[in-house]
Amino acid sequence: MVLTFPAEAIDEPITYTLIKEYDVMINILNADITHGREGNLLIEMSGEETNVREALVYLDNKQIQISPVIKTILFRESRCIHCGACASVCFSGALDMDTATRELKFSPERCIACELCIKACPLQLFELNFGVN
Amino acid sequence: MVLTAEEVSEMGRSRSAREIAEKVDVVTTGTFSPMCSSGVFINVGHSDPPIRMEKATLNGVPVFTGLAAVDLYIGATEAHPENPAYGGAHVIEELLEGKDVELIAHAKGTDCYPLKDIRTTINRENINDMIMFNPRNAYQNYPAAVNSSRQIKYTYMGSLLPRMGNANYSTSGELSPLLNDPQLRTIGVGTRIFLGGTTGYVSWFGTQFKTDTETNAHGVPVSNAAALAVIGDAKAMRPDFIKAAYFEKYGVSIFIGIGIPIPLLDEEMAARVMIRNDQITTRILDYGDPGKPELGRVTYAELQSGEITLNHKKIRTASLSSLHRARIIADLLKKELTEGRFLLAEPVEPFPHRKDLNPLIIR
Repeated sequence: MVLTFPAEAIDEPITYTLIKEYDVMINILNADITHGREGNLLIEMSGEETNVREALVYLDNKQIQISPVIKTILFRESRCIHCGACASVCFSGALDMDTATRELKFSPERCIACELCIKACPLQLFELNFGVN
Repeated sequence: MVLTAEEVSEMGRSRSAREIAEKVDVVTTGTFSPMCSSGVFINVGHSDPPIRMEKATLNGVPVFTGLAAVDLYIGATEAHPENPAYGGAHVIEELLEGKDVELIAHAKGTDCYPLKDIRTTINRENINDMIMFNPRNAYQNYPAAVNSSRQIKYTYMGSLLPRMGNANYSTSGELSPLLNDPQLRTIGVGTRIFLGGTTGYVSWFGTQFKTDTETNAHGVPVSNAAALAVIGDAKAMRPDFIKAAYFEKYGVSIFIGIGIPIPLLDEEMAARVMIRNDQITTRILDYGDPGKPELGRVTYAELQSGEITLNHKKIRTASLSSLHRARIIADLLKKELTEGRFLLAEPVEPFPHRKDLNPLIIR
């Protein structure tokens, strides 16, 4: 999710409070925060359900806007050589090798963004993309 | 008549070897696979004042300088010291694409080569020569890889998922050059081939060439056996058929496109090229165990179907070799042969009939 901080909340140790007071796990993926201005923090948050719910209430009280994020995989398809190295690690079936034409087919709607293809592609044609819903 | 190896395999279902030998003159093969033992010699020309390069990098990737003053060898798998995902293969690809590449070289300076340091850019047009010479390419068959361990393994056979989550293989099966002439009757020193989008030659047998690999009932080796050393003018090559690759936590490699025409000398040769994927076997090796034990055997028909069964478990398969592009190569070669633009060359020297491999003993 992306946390959007109003300018006045920048000075507060929000992440610290989330971890110490609500016992949630925070994985910071991207941060763009400057003093005196609005800032964004891209995080993954996990923990017990009640803790997570209370943490979200805390963020809401601090007037921090929460936007869920959709992880998507970007595929530079035009450079693909159709080897298929990605296909055997793709369990959602988004990447599939046509057994007749031996061409790789990518169906983004089936992708669950497990990211295994990123490391499997020898041409490094897959990238993770974070989009705010 | 010229046909591709896949077309002739299909034809073999309804015609005899004798009929095919009478009808077909040449069969074209193709492969587009990662082939680590590859590289390019370049001669960058002499500067004024001249330098006898002792240490050099291209886009930060170290290159071999132990050849006279300005002859360099770019090894495909050499990695950038700070960026392991970028290496010699990428430099080669950028040179083929016509891009500028930064050359930095150092020397001690001599009376005849006084310059000690140089920093400049080179590209395909301003260098004198760019000769691809690959000591080991086009392996005749290669084992498929699985991983029985509980952790993902990152190998030159790609990402191998734990508990045999997938199986990766790397040849083009019935289209693969050396599987269509398993006894190397038509392939030897001097054979003219398709290499990286242009004409190349078989220059020698490949390193680690061996003849003692077990063969199956159809006469093809069930594992890696013969290989080729090949040479060609990299200035004329096309980036479509030479592609840099990086295998996670393994390193840099390079996809090389090779096509070999096989003349059907007689009925015996016709019987060889008729071989089908269901008649070509390979070993399944376990990369999750340090000794890489063999767990079973499969045919390329099974591997190419997308799923194999091993110990009652269904395993998804994937190729590291692009059959799609191998077909393009075989088709291109067929077209060029048919139009008379590609001429067959008889080998000037056959390959050894017996050659085995020495291990490296740690003394």
